[in-house]
Amino acid sequence: MPDTELSPEELTRYARQIGPGVLSPEGQLRLKNSTALVTRVGGMGGPAALALVMGGVGRVIIAHGGELISPDLNRQVLGCETVLGQPRAPHFAEYLRSMNQYVTVEAIDHEPDDDEARELARRVDVILSCPPGFEERMRLNRAAVEAGVPMIDAAQWGATGTLMVIDPGRTACLRCVYPEDPPFEAMFPVLGGISAAMGALASLEAVKILSGMGRPMFGQLWMIDSYQGRTSIVELQRDPNCPCCGSQGAVQE
Amino acid sequence: MKIRLMISGRNYDVADALPEELALPDGASIDDALQHVAGLLPRDRQLPDSCLLAVSGTHLGTLRNHKPHALRDGDELVVIAPVAGG
Repeated sequence: MPDTELSPEELTRYARQIGPGVLSPEGQLRLKNSTALVTRVGGMGGPAALALVMGGVGRVIIAHGGELISPDLNRQVLGCETVLGQPRAPHFAEYLRSMNQYVTVEAIDHEPDDDEARELARRVDVILSCPPGFEERMRLNRAAVEAGVPMIDAAQWGATGTLMVIDPGRTACLRCVYPEDPPFEAMFPVLGGISAAMGALASLEAVKILSGMGRPMFGQLWMIDSYQGRTSIVELQRDPNCPCCGSQGAVQE
Repeated sequence: MKIRLMISGRNYDVADALPEELALPDGASIDDALQHVAGLLPRDRQLPDSCLLAVSGTHLGTLRNHKPHALRDGDELVVIAPVAGG
């Protein structure tokens, strides 16, 4: 059963984000009754999950496998030196829980496969896609399209990032935009500042979608190039023959 | 006519070698512009086929597969090499 009200303690916690131009009390309550999936929770997903937890999204599910390594600590804000060499997901979840007692954080200590991604997509209200490669992004994209759940794809390279906000069946999906997977690059260069910026912007889109405030950037790709000091917004076009969301009506790929 | 050029995304440093503005003959198409850009790139660099193409905010497809488009003076040609990274 959804909660019907915010407690006085919750209203105190969220006092700075309820008001004109931000959230209405009803919007904050909608956040409380929402579930978000963030995978993975490294450079971008970490700041995104942190903002969702601190902002009061009622249930945040994080997925991230492997152990924390030293090169992660230029950007993975949920980690710290004392947990180097240890599994990321449980430690990241513990940190997130310490930031807001009024929300629930679920940790998945691996990257979901196709079946699990599908199952998770059916449980959540929004997906934040922040993995390092396109194979995983496309898996989340397929799951989002199949479940009809909005997805925000955040990506980064060096000092640049892209944000794409997808409303399946209505706006272009990730496969419409990238018909072929670009090559995977394990040790891509990246600065922590762009990671945090893209993660924070992804969380803002999620909050807008979940709460009903403002205008989500559905159907748009936002390119932010800090290296060149330039930015661009592209109105994305759906591909009617997209093997994922095209006219066949079902996920074909 | 003159159009603005923005090359970004993965390996955006290639843009260091390119001007921010291109001078093209009136009536030039997006393929004319791309051919012009390819000629300006350093010999050992090329843009990936999977690059997203847009003109003045309108998405046209990828470098390999995109809609034909006639350019106009003042347009901005945006070429974004896909980025992932977590």
